[in-house]
Amino acid sequence: MALDRRLEVLAVCGVGMGSSLMLKMTAEDALGALGVDARVENTDVSSARGMSPDVVIGQGMHTGEIADLAPVVITISDFLDKDGLAAQLRERLTEQGWLP
Amino acid sequence: MTVIAADDGVAARDWREAVRAAASALVGAGAAGEGYPDACERVVEENGPYIVLTKGLALVHARPEDGGLAVGVGVTRLAAPVEFGHPDNDPVDLLLAFCTPDPDAHVGTLAALARSLSGGLADRLRGAPGREELAGALKEAVPDA
Repeated sequence: MALDRRLEVLAVCGVGMGSSLMLKMTAEDALGALGVDARVENTDVSSARGMSPDVVIGQGMHTGEIADLAPVVITISDFLDKDGLAAQLRERLTEQGWLP
Repeated sequence: MTVIAADDGVAARDWREAVRAAASALVGAGAAGEGYPDACERVVEENGPYIVLTKGLALVHARPEDGGLAVGVGVTRLAAPVEFGHPDNDPVDLLLAFCTPDPDAHVGTLAALARSLSGGLADRLRGAPGREELAGALKEAVPDA
């Protein structure tokens, strides 16, 4: 069913202040392009374990460790690839019924 | 005010030397303390090669308490690329390093850098004729530098 609130998205990396911040920017652009109302935060993979977002995005070496953290876990190699991320988001959010 | 550093034609035999060189540029510019290169190397050791965030480009950094004295951004262009062990984005020829005195001071600078990278900054850095132009291209990408 459709999400009746803002989508909570977490961008993760090892330290939580460099790469994940870059990824947050890319994710905001990708979600904007899809017209999704979302709040994107960035953090390190350890802190992420205490959170309960709707979507987690990170590199495979990190998402493998937190594969159960969210209904949607997206692995991305290129943190600057907006189009690639938007395509993955579209598919996975549609699966959840969060996108029409 | 963001401190800018640039180094060109740096010889590195492996990722460790490349990371240390990139971090040392910030030390040389006065933005980071002596221990910063060690700390940056440790980050990769402990967390893996995820800092290679797009094809050929690594974002080198450690934590504020590891020696961040000011917000600084540096670009280091290698004489020859090195492998980080990243599954998709190796080999790396370009390193961007940053440091920050606290967990928030760098956010604006890094956001600007992210926008510029999306707008082709990496290609402009690779195409720069020399050190001066490298520094110039980076400076353009960071509005308060």
